[in-house]
Amino acid sequence: MRHWLTRTRFCGVLLCLLALVLAGCAPVPATQGESGEAAMEPVEITVWLSQTAQSDCIVAESVDTFNAKQDEVVVNVERKATTDSLRPALAAGSGPDVVQLGGPVFAAELALAGQLLPMDAYADEFGWSELFHDWAFNVGVVEGELFSLPQELETLVLFYNKTVFEEKGWQPPSNLEEMISLAEVIQKDGLIPFAGQSSQCNVCNEWYVGEFMNQVAGPELVYQALIGEVPFDHPDFVRAIEIHNDMMQKGYYMGSLERFQAANFEEFTTAFATGEAVMNMEGTWFYGREADYFGEGTTHGNDWDWVPNPSVDGTPIFSIGLGGTQSINKSSAHPREAAMYLSHYFSPEVQGRLVSVCNRGTAPVRGVDEFMEGVDPRMQAIFAAMNDAFEAGVYGYTLWTFFPPKTDLYLYEELEKVWSGQMTAQEYLTRANEIFQEELAAGEVPPTPSR
Amino acid sequence: MTANPSIQDTSSRRTASLGKGMAVRRGLLAWALIIPITLVHLVVVVGPGISGLYYALTDWSGIGKAEFIGLGNFVELFTEDLNFRAAFRHNLFWMAFFLTVPMIMALSAASLLAQIRRGAMLIRSMFYLPYVLPSIVSAFTWSMLLNPSLGIGAALDKIGIKGLDHPWLGDFRTALAAIAFADNWHWWGFLSILFLTAMQAIPVDLYDAAKIDGANRWQQFRNVTLPGIRPTILFMLLMTAIWSFLSFDYVWILTQGGPSGASELVSSHLYKQAFLRFEAGYAAAIGLTVSLMAGCIVGGFTILRRRGWEI
Repeated sequence: MRHWLTRTRFCGVLLCLLALVLAGCAPVPATQGESGEAAMEPVEITVWLSQTAQSDCIVAESVDTFNAKQDEVVVNVERKATTDSLRPALAAGSGPDVVQLGGPVFAAELALAGQLLPMDAYADEFGWSELFHDWAFNVGVVEGELFSLPQELETLVLFYNKTVFEEKGWQPPSNLEEMISLAEVIQKDGLIPFAGQSSQCNVCNEWYVGEFMNQVAGPELVYQALIGEVPFDHPDFVRAIEIHNDMMQKGYYMGSLERFQAANFEEFTTAFATGEAVMNMEGTWFYGREADYFGEGTTHGNDWDWVPNPSVDGTPIFSIGLGGTQSINKSSAHPREAAMYLSHYFSPEVQGRLVSVCNRGTAPVRGVDEFMEGVDPRMQAIFAAMNDAFEAGVYGYTLWTFFPPKTDLYLYEELEKVWSGQMTAQEYLTRANEIFQEELAAGEVPPTPSR
Repeated sequence: MTANPSIQDTSSRRTASLGKGMAVRRGLLAWALIIPITLVHLVVVVGPGISGLYYALTDWSGIGKAEFIGLGNFVELFTEDLNFRAAFRHNLFWMAFFLTVPMIMALSAASLLAQIRRGAMLIRSMFYLPYVLPSIVSAFTWSMLLNPSLGIGAALDKIGIKGLDHPWLGDFRTALAAIAFADNWHWWGFLSILFLTAMQAIPVDLYDAAKIDGANRWQQFRNVTLPGIRPTILFMLLMTAIWSFLSFDYVWILTQGGPSGASELVSSHLYKQAFLRFEAGYAAAIGLTVSLMAGCIVGGFTILRRRGWEI
């Protein structure tokens, strides 16, 4: 019997395999952009965007409006899990033209690794230094060159359930002492003083570390610590952590430490909206989801309002936070076109629409106030107060924007060990200081706006 | 009829020659087909594996240039990193849990399932179903079920059964066990189907002989069933021991290693070092250490096999 695998068939299989390999190695046909017709066709650049509840709106208001208003450049959006995909892509010399990152710390790291393009020439050409607030513009400078632009301005305030406060006749606190006294009253009344969680987002512990450092020890001391003039285990910082730990131990957050650590966003926001918990130390990103929990569309109809997070002496202190940055890929074939898109994206008009239409925070650019029509007046008030404080230099420093990564991770992770009694506030901050000093010596601390 | 010896000799030589040629062609075809996947394996497994060995000896952020520091990462890992020690202890608990609880549950369920005829397929499918669910779905389901305000405990509390509305995932004393419980839910059903399949391969004669000898149910299970599926049990013990060092998804989804590091496993610790602290070189050292641990487990089983264990 003749075997099915004849010499001819065998050679055929080999040839097919060889053809497949060669096809894979074949050069990509020249695009129109590389041919003589290049000048006629628009340049295409790419932006990677994670899929979120707001991303479709962001694309419509920023990318689509850019593509519609000119015909030189076309921005293509690719839906990617940017955090996981970007690093290997950039390291391999590919990735999107416009690089969105988690914040200036991440941008500085990639800038030092030579994966981002210095944008100083484009900043001059497109007037970015005049567009951005000075402190915000400088946050993107690494070793004297501009590598990132801050994407979303954030700060933390004290939201409270206005309906419950009015029913009970409580006044929102204006300083730390009032806040602690009020928490005691609220707890005695059978309600939970503060909503919160750490199960779904233990990174969010950094909200509390930063706020208590800024509001109790003061932003001046935080600034001095960030530039290495005082240690992070300074007694005032220790006191700040102890005050917060005391509040946690008393069950002021979600009724008990265990419940706080088991709760997620859905649970704590529901508790806050229904009035089970009546205050919430959170950031301006709350604006993205408050409408689902408060107001006329809900069964309870409760309303919310806000005050600045209470400081020791009652001075309103707004901590600066930047939710993400935008940069240009060092490997981009079209960096100027990417800069054109960034100029459009950061224009006050687009930023205003991102706030009013997409319920998203604005970038720290000048002139957005004119485009805030339709934005909830309470949010407008937060943005206005925040900008006034920043211009006046009365601002604090959020961990995710100004602290180096190892110190940041340590502070939000190990804080739970203070809560569980595995270490004291002093021990916690002594180790934090050791880690910070190592990062400071290694030049890994992001630029700190001077006071 | 007797065949001509010369013709027979020629025919056998030709057959031998044909057989040899066919064997060569088969061998070549096998090589032609195995080479592409081997090349892919070299690129995506062996290459990163070797580079991981190198990066474990460097101070590297994951991007940019790596600085060679010798055994510095390992010195830090074994002498300074208290969180790694805690994570390793948690992994030992995890391994002990998964080498016992799901094994016992699966063996019990399989031996009972083996006796069921009507509706057996439905019950097997129900047991197997959690295994095919994505871990993100299972984990989120359990995060809701274990929630003190919305979960099983809260529901039981409403009907008068008190004490179970505890924040199991938020209490550092119970978080790791609660996650192991949730992870086990998707695992033991798979094991039971595996054991059931092995049990069905045991000859019925052996059970008949045992019955004639007067063996009761327990004696049949101990002296016939267990020896009959011993290779499967031992193989699954080996794999469970190795996989226990790789567990990540349930811990990450449910607690991210918290609260206060109480549910940190070596894998989640590694992830944090690589992607949150940007210490990829250090993370590579942790990964290499875990690989060596898995290697020790495999080595232990190999020694047992050489000593005559049927593994």
